[in-house]
Amino acid sequence: MRPLAITGLGVSSPLGLGWDAFRASLAAPPGAAFTTSPTSFSALPHPALRVAEIAHFDPRPIVGDKGLRNNDRLTRLLLVAARLGLEHAGVKRDGAFVAHGPAEVGVCASTAYGSLEAIHELDSVARLEDPRYLNPARFPNTVINSSVGYVSIWEELRALNATVTNGPTGGLDAFDAASLWLDAGRAKAVLTGGAEAMSEGLWQAFRRLGALDEHPEAWAPGDPRSGGLRLGEGACLVVLEDLAAARARGAKVHAEVVGYGAAFEPAEASAPMVHVSAGALARAVQGALAGVDRARVAMVVSGLSGYGLLDGPERAAIAESLGEVPVRCPKAWMGETLGAAGAFGVAAAVGWLADGRAGDCAVVTSVGFYGNASALVVRRPE
Amino acid sequence: MTPRVLVTGMGVVSSLGLGRAAFWRSLVEGRSGTSTISSFDATRLGRTLAAEVQGFVAGDHLTATEAKRAGRCAAFALAAARMAVRDAGLDEGALRSERASVVLGTTMGEADICGLLDGRWIVEGPDAMSPRVLPKYAPYLLSMETAQAFGCRGTVLTLPAACAAGNYAIGYAADLIRAGRADVVITGAAEMLQELQFAGFVRLGAVAPERCQPFDLDRQGLIVGEGAGVMVLESEEHAVRRGATALAEVGGYGLACDGFHITRPEPSGAGVIHALREAIWRAGLTVDEVDFINAHGTGTRANDAVESTAVRAVFGERRVPISSIKSLIGHCMGAASAIEAVSCVETINTGLYPPTVGYATPDPECDVAVVANAAGRGRADVVVNHSLAFGGYDAVVLFAKPDRLPPPDVREARS
Repeated sequence: MRPLAITGLGVSSPLGLGWDAFRASLAAPPGAAFTTSPTSFSALPHPALRVAEIAHFDPRPIVGDKGLRNNDRLTRLLLVAARLGLEHAGVKRDGAFVAHGPAEVGVCASTAYGSLEAIHELDSVARLEDPRYLNPARFPNTVINSSVGYVSIWEELRALNATVTNGPTGGLDAFDAASLWLDAGRAKAVLTGGAEAMSEGLWQAFRRLGALDEHPEAWAPGDPRSGGLRLGEGACLVVLEDLAAARARGAKVHAEVVGYGAAFEPAEASAPMVHVSAGALARAVQGALAGVDRARVAMVVSGLSGYGLLDGPERAAIAESLGEVPVRCPKAWMGETLGAAGAFGVAAAVGWLADGRAGDCAVVTSVGFYGNASALVVRRPE
Repeated sequence: MTPRVLVTGMGVVSSLGLGRAAFWRSLVEGRSGTSTISSFDATRLGRTLAAEVQGFVAGDHLTATEAKRAGRCAAFALAAARMAVRDAGLDEGALRSERASVVLGTTMGEADICGLLDGRWIVEGPDAMSPRVLPKYAPYLLSMETAQAFGCRGTVLTLPAACAAGNYAIGYAADLIRAGRADVVITGAAEMLQELQFAGFVRLGAVAPERCQPFDLDRQGLIVGEGAGVMVLESEEHAVRRGATALAEVGGYGLACDGFHITRPEPSGAGVIHALREAIWRAGLTVDEVDFINAHGTGTRANDAVESTAVRAVFGERRVPISSIKSLIGHCMGAASAIEAVSCVETINTGLYPPTVGYATPDPECDVAVVANAAGRGRADVVVNHSLAFGGYDAVVLFAKPDRLPPPDVREARS
């Protein structure tokens, strides 16, 4: 992979809106973002259950209120992250382009289950009232790529617009897609990352699957004693550019993306469709580290969530692939953000690498629910 | 050296039949796949027609385990993929490789599973959602199911690019091969007809009462369709090594975003123009070398007018034959451009242009050379496949007769 520059980071997260707030929260002990009383849907039915949501999320101070009425929560999270990311990268200032032009900036973002909130909303109208009462202005929200589409509309971006969906690994896979498209000259900058919104549907589904943590006293991602995950939400979009071009335009390079790998391991024919593969992650890490000096790896920024089904194979693959390297768990701060998780892992890696400890590379890892895995290598700029 | 990307096999699930032969025969004969919807009662909506896939039995194409796991959308994808792999003459075991990937597109994915779960929740409460059924819903499962079936161990990805999803997937799959990351990629898209989505299109005022008449003055909208189109793409070296027959080459593709409106195309057609020109120059060609256009041609007033404007802007006074098979198979949403890609390759192989049926009165806003009502015949070395989509997406893929295009390295040097 040709090195790419991260020139700006836009974050909407329970850890804060904006890069500075997010980074400061990651420097503090984890746990503060979790609540038993979410504001985005009715109270949790079990006192031990916790989520990390942006309480009373209001995008208007950042993106204004015109045109937001029919946008769902996922779209609003993305719009905030996009605006903050473009400004942070110096691509836009006060809403106007100051570097690149509209036809040179694209978007590539992941979501795993992004349209569920809208599907449930419209399905409820259709089933409990009448399908003739569906609000056509809300219908586009049921289409998975519409949220990312709105980013181009709001920010007047005319280069490619793409949504990736691949479960928890999607937030890393989006970087690979953006990289291919940047290499091909399809854009000069691509807002890259992922988003997932808190919704009752998503939360109920994971609860019914028995995947949620119900024992907060023992919860710690990566700790085998943890009983499950905690759902989080947010959007993370970084501005990705060709490294030399970014330097040439005088942009601040916050980090470099220097390696990516992805792999899939099929399940045995008679095994359940849901399966998590340590072998796939080991191959993904190997692919991501091709061309990277392993001695420079300072840390793994893992996808460990507290859910043993995923954590066990991920821990095994990290140990096998990288040995005794410090393993960090951003989900201890922000919970499981699914399609956004990989992008938040990249952002956490950028923040933690800036601490300047030994080594200048972080391997960001993620395993999917169906045998897929991805890894990305982030490097502190020289 | 950048490899050529070749199409070596194709599979189709459509309202006009299963398999490329049945599909193509019906297309050139101008048969309509439209019928009264049988999978749900649409009478209240005032629109009752769709191009539904009839007689599809998952077990005819999938193993018992696969059929049990997959919803209708993934079953379409997997059935079409299996047809494509067989058509390519590939032994399924040959795909058990880290150099074999799967990239598929969709709009909604497993919409029937989602609808089933959501319905139980709405009517009976959240505890009625079965933990056995929940893992069967994810918009990205069609790619996972396909990779699982063939044992592909490389990149597995789903691109939900609405009605441009097929073109996005094919373009991305070609990029994986050109970048040296894969030798073989199973790619295309799948979509199923589902009640909520159908009702949404009706509420948008996009669905025609009786028939889809692309580019006609009196067009009244689209007919919703469903199905899957899947291709096997291979690097030239891989195809030659195993003695495969190349059906076509994926020449280049163009992407743009209108950044204008979530459902309406931008009136000047600037995004489509950009995507079309990009697909042509990335293939190392000029606009004078395009022989046939497979239109997005939904039959809606806005789409067809904007698409015609773009065609005129790119090709000028040259009347390149253009046709929309949505007049026959309906608008298959995420699967549309993938199924139409199969049609493009059939055009290259036969020199036949499938017709746009229902074309009676020319529309001055659609001043393009429509292949009206009966199949045409002509030069078909280079064919472009248009798609426009929700989100303002514009994606165009160019297919060419094998060896018609300059070598990839020459194309890159020119660009």
